[in-house]
Amino acid sequence: MLQDGAGAPLLFLHGAGGAGRWLPFQERLAKDFSVYFPSHPGHGGSPAAEWIEHISDLAFHYLDLLDELGLERAHLVGASFGGWIAAELATMASHRLASLVLIDPVGIRVEGWIYPFLFGMDVPEIVATVFHNPMAALALAPPDQSVETLALQYRQGTALARVAWNPHLYDPLLRRRLGRIAAPTLLCWGAHDRLAPLGPCGETWAKEIPGARLRVFADSGHVPHLEEPDAAAAAVREFCQLHGGAR
Amino acid sequence: MKFYYFHLMPYIMDHDAPSSWVTLSNRNYDPVVGHTLYNQYLDQLEEAERLGWDGLCVNEHHQNCYGTMPSPNVMAAMLVRRTTRAKIAILGNGLPLRENPLRIAEEIAMLDVVSGGRIISGFVRGISAEYFSTAVNPTRSRERFYEAAELILRAWTEEGPFPFDGRHYRYPYVNPWPRPIQKPHPPVWCPSQGSSETVEWAAQRRFPYLMVFTPIKRIAQIYGEYREACERHGYKASRYQLTVNVPIVVAENDAKARALAEKHVMWVFNVGLRMHPPFWRPPGYMTESSLRRLLANPPKPPSELGFEEADREGYLIYGSPATVRDKLRVFSDELKAGILCSGMTGPSHEQTLEMMQLFAEEVMPHFREDARVDETVGVGR
Repeated sequence: MLQDGAGAPLLFLHGAGGAGRWLPFQERLAKDFSVYFPSHPGHGGSPAAEWIEHISDLAFHYLDLLDELGLERAHLVGASFGGWIAAELATMASHRLASLVLIDPVGIRVEGWIYPFLFGMDVPEIVATVFHNPMAALALAPPDQSVETLALQYRQGTALARVAWNPHLYDPLLRRRLGRIAAPTLLCWGAHDRLAPLGPCGETWAKEIPGARLRVFADSGHVPHLEEPDAAAAAVREFCQLHGGAR
Repeated sequence: MKFYYFHLMPYIMDHDAPSSWVTLSNRNYDPVVGHTLYNQYLDQLEEAERLGWDGLCVNEHHQNCYGTMPSPNVMAAMLVRRTTRAKIAILGNGLPLRENPLRIAEEIAMLDVVSGGRIISGFVRGISAEYFSTAVNPTRSRERFYEAAELILRAWTEEGPFPFDGRHYRYPYVNPWPRPIQKPHPPVWCPSQGSSETVEWAAQRRFPYLMVFTPIKRIAQIYGEYREACERHGYKASRYQLTVNVPIVVAENDAKARALAEKHVMWVFNVGLRMHPPFWRPPGYMTESSLRRLLANPPKPPSELGFEEADREGYLIYGSPATVRDKLRVFSDELKAGILCSGMTGPSHEQTLEMMQLFAEEVMPHFREDARVDETVGVGR
């Protein structure tokens, strides 16, 4: 787990391929918050966890982490796959969240949209699907093509596939539970997201989570925190500060 | 040596698409052409029995032009009633690909009973691409394979009804009618690519191990591992537990055979097995240790395999009858494989039949010291 900064506690849950990448987005947030950035089991340096069968296992895992860190309430920020985990967690335990920020989350079934099958894509196809600005993808590029790097990528893909292969990138039960989320919620969405487009995906999330605010990032695809880190971090900071109470 | 005629039932075509699997549009499939092909291919398998082959092999693949047998049991059903002597080897059913694997126990038992006990039942996981075609989670593949195999073997051998409560498959009543005619059950084979886990699993159960389209050096290595595993489990592997699948082209002379092999066998590798790279390696299909073993010595994608290399590495056998006999000695005498599964492809149906006849007359008789042995006795169960 990466950790830096001082202030109210903020737990960041990364998306696929984002493990262990402390980038300008986290850097900005660490100026105002105590940022906790764990790698999901099987991602980054975290060991694979064969017991993880379902996305809710990951949500419980992070509830355990909040307990372990002694954080009664925290700001929870999740991007993409991490946003899915964060939303599951919020349906279980909103009272542990000072606020919830979901950045282009996946995780729910939306009529009129089928998430393109990520596991069938090669790297150029993934970049073209995820990024509006492909240069931003360089931040996630692997350091080399060594056996260790390839084995890590395989382990990460496996950890993701365990919970996201079929149904692909969603939990059929999550959508009808979103109404349980009582934490103040901000949805950040890239205007050019091609994996989970604003319409219909972002609009559906905004409708399902009571009182959620939707903020659109005009120059981003699926990952505004990588494509417009300054603007995304500012939006998160502003929203979290509006909803203090993390401790 | 025993000879099994192996058919992929390909839909042979050229195309520029990046993958012959999963995404190659089925608009390329002309059912009228398919009608002719299926019937020619079935004729070839039936002819193989008349020419003296000991077994006929069918197999399961999905959504590709490489092999058009999504249901091998359907093809086996057609062969069962049109043949009388040959074993029908289904190599195999993709166990983890089924949501209801009890259906496999039922279908194989049906075939076994109708055929009077001529069925060999291959258990496979299905190759990587099948997980994209069926949407089955590849990270569960291994667990589902072991669990389905256990279910099927119990369904064949234990009196029903009994409950089965697995992690992936659950039944309050396992009680399939009919039961298979072979006792305790039809022989089980494990066609595989050589993962150490499968070698161990097969050896422990005396299930024959079949290497498909693999270079000779690797076959020798995996056979060694398999024999060792058998000894660890307290017995010596029968030669009929070691099976090899290699394409063969035989013609009047080496030059003619080579020309045919270069065109028709290489189609299988270069076009038939052309695959969009992600389809080769779905997450979790392999254990991490198998992946590391693979990465330490990464194999060339079949689509990039050149003829000279394929020839040198022993991916195929071609030549005059005398040359083919010599090359086969490597398999029979050095690798000590007991069963050779192989298909033949000529430029036309008629020429394929002629090639089969040439092989049956000029090659097969030289390997028949074991003509009176039943290769399925004590093997595969």
